[in-house]
Amino acid sequence: MTLIGALAALVVAISIGTTFWWMLHPPDSFVERRAKEAVSELERMVGSIIVVFTPEIASGHMMALAAKLARGERSDLLALYVIEMPYTLPPDAEMPTEERAALDELGAAETIAKSNGISIRTEILKARSTKQAVLDIAKRERANLLIVGDHREGRYVGAPLSRTIEEIAADAKCDVLIGVEGKHGTILIGEPPPGAEASDQVRER
Amino acid sequence: MAQPPIPQTRPPQLRRAVTPWGSFSWGYSDVGADIFIGLGLVLAAAAGASNVAFLFAGIVYVCIGLAYTELAAAYPFAGGGPYFVLRGLGDVFGFIAGWAVLLDFTIDITIFAWSCIDYSSQLLPMLVGSAHPWVHFLAVLGLIVALCFLNVMGVRESTAFNGIVAGIDVLSETAILCFGFLFAFRPELLIHTMQASWPSPYHLMLGTSLAIISFVGLESISQAAQETYRPASVIPRTSVALILTILIFALAYSNLALGMQPWHPILDAHGHHLQFWQIFPHDQDNQGKAVALLAAQVPYWGALASLYVPVLGAILLLISSNSGVFGSSRIAYSMSRADLLPSIFQRIHARFRTPAVSIFAFCGLAAVTLMFAALPSLFPRAMSLYVRLFHGESGLDFLADLYAFGAATSYSFVFVALIALRLVDPFSPRKFKIPVNWPVRFRGENTGIPIIGIFGFIGIFSILVFTLMTHPIGRIAGPAWLALGFILYLIYRRHRGLPLFRSQKHDWQRHQMEILRTSGDLELLDQYTANLKAAAERKKAGA
Repeated sequence: MTLIGALAALVVAISIGTTFWWMLHPPDSFVERRAKEAVSELERMVGSIIVVFTPEIASGHMMALAAKLARGERSDLLALYVIEMPYTLPPDAEMPTEERAALDELGAAETIAKSNGISIRTEILKARSTKQAVLDIAKRERANLLIVGDHREGRYVGAPLSRTIEEIAADAKCDVLIGVEGKHGTILIGEPPPGAEASDQVRER
Repeated sequence: MAQPPIPQTRPPQLRRAVTPWGSFSWGYSDVGADIFIGLGLVLAAAAGASNVAFLFAGIVYVCIGLAYTELAAAYPFAGGGPYFVLRGLGDVFGFIAGWAVLLDFTIDITIFAWSCIDYSSQLLPMLVGSAHPWVHFLAVLGLIVALCFLNVMGVRESTAFNGIVAGIDVLSETAILCFGFLFAFRPELLIHTMQASWPSPYHLMLGTSLAIISFVGLESISQAAQETYRPASVIPRTSVALILTILIFALAYSNLALGMQPWHPILDAHGHHLQFWQIFPHDQDNQGKAVALLAAQVPYWGALASLYVPVLGAILLLISSNSGVFGSSRIAYSMSRADLLPSIFQRIHARFRTPAVSIFAFCGLAAVTLMFAALPSLFPRAMSLYVRLFHGESGLDFLADLYAFGAATSYSFVFVALIALRLVDPFSPRKFKIPVNWPVRFRGENTGIPIIGIFGFIGIFSILVFTLMTHPIGRIAGPAWLALGFILYLIYRRHRGLPLFRSQKHDWQRHQMEILRTSGDLELLDQYTANLKAAAERKKAGA
């Protein structure tokens, strides 16, 4: 072994290594910087997630999304079912039908979480005001994100955001994700493609 | 107001999915294999000045690489060199450059298939060309036919496979060089070899013109530019990395080969000790597998390398040969679309959706060149004809001659196109610009003539002159190829009623906007639009 030989070997190894490191780290473009900011913002957003259910707010479809989000970001997930107590009843009165519905919703939420391989906490809460209960729990849990579905009281009449959802979104100190189902998946299905009608008419003529 | 109809299907376009490593390995699988052929040929021709031959060719190659880097980053469109020449110099020169590249790719198919069999012969002695010429010939021909049918059927090696082979090869070559320099390199032996075995000027020119073939293939990166993600940012890095890697390997191998103390003694027929490089002159079998022979002589690592380097070399050379099949058909297809070649080259196979006519045509040509190269070894009586016409050159030398001619010609045009595009298109943003420019004002616009580009042109043109002076085949068959192509071009253009010596009208500005819009670097599109707007305003103000 000679000193010049050893130096040559060192120069070859270092120059090849440095060249490859430099090649594999090109500078970010504007859109890539934007994308990175959005990803880091998401990481901040989804540290602790609460999915809100009530008899009027259907969040089942959003639970699946929340589970996937929580799995990707390793978030802390809480499924909260709020039963609004009328002022005509004591605050801790029994409401068997609503409680039974709550157990069904939260059981489904646990199943979704289990199938995604994440742990979940569930909670049923009786309160005079849904909005206030959700905001209080969000404060207690230091939630980063509230997820709510759309309003489904009785027959769907085309107004997906009830006053409750709007108030939660307006007063929450964290981000709120509202999921409105697109008219139950009927959009575009069965509709003829644009221009097809016109061509049919031309053919008829 | 009526809503305009929304298209129900998206027009097909190349997907931008090639990453920095993918882009590098795409180029490396082509140019990285060249040293496996070039090392033996240059050691045989330039002897003690092989490292100087590689250095001179390497300097020219750096200039070529920088030119390609600037052009590929500014015009990230599939097509490579011929496309740049078409844009910069018009249809006629675009055709000539494309035709020269087609020669290169056709020879590429044969020379790499030939060398692939040579490397395999290191482990399978029945494939040694001098001992079994017919077996060697049939094996190379079989490989060309197989690659032809695989490409017609649309079976290609994947970018991932290329990436793995490139990664293993870079690591392997680095290991061979490091072990070689550590345990087998004698600086005093290098100096002695350079002093005692310095070649004649003729052989130094010959060696330099052969050394350039160790650097051919960089254009693969620019050909894949349209499929590369963020090409304006990624291509400069991958191109420069490829230039440096290949240059380091070429210079390191040539110096190591000249100053190497072999691990096992090498003896000639009379029992005299030989230096490592002395096994190459007058032995075509050794010239075809130089890296495998060198690896086997590296202490310690050589025990392992002698087993896997022939296999790795054969795989890399096979990929290179395949890139010749793929590249020639792709260039013929794009030249045909630009009305530089007949539309038959655009014909797609009904079942496999591949340009079958182009593939068959250029694989057929590759088979013909193989026959010319192998003829003297198959029929020794033909040797007298070769001695009279081509100074007795045959086999690998025959192919290397044509390869060097095609490369030097097409690279010369690329340098001219680089300078022309700086003048006629100063508006396209150049994220990478060759340093050292001479500021000039042309048609009212400030621009710069690349000094390195001028030096590069002088360098590659001198290599073209060396090739014509020292390679009988390159001197005869190379210009004949260009002349034949040009006659076919004129006949075709006349038949189609297109201008013979002028260019068709091209809307390059619109074309450039479309390229930049899909490139992923939208800032460049903004910059290009702003440059055009500012130029229009200056023109208006001047008028």
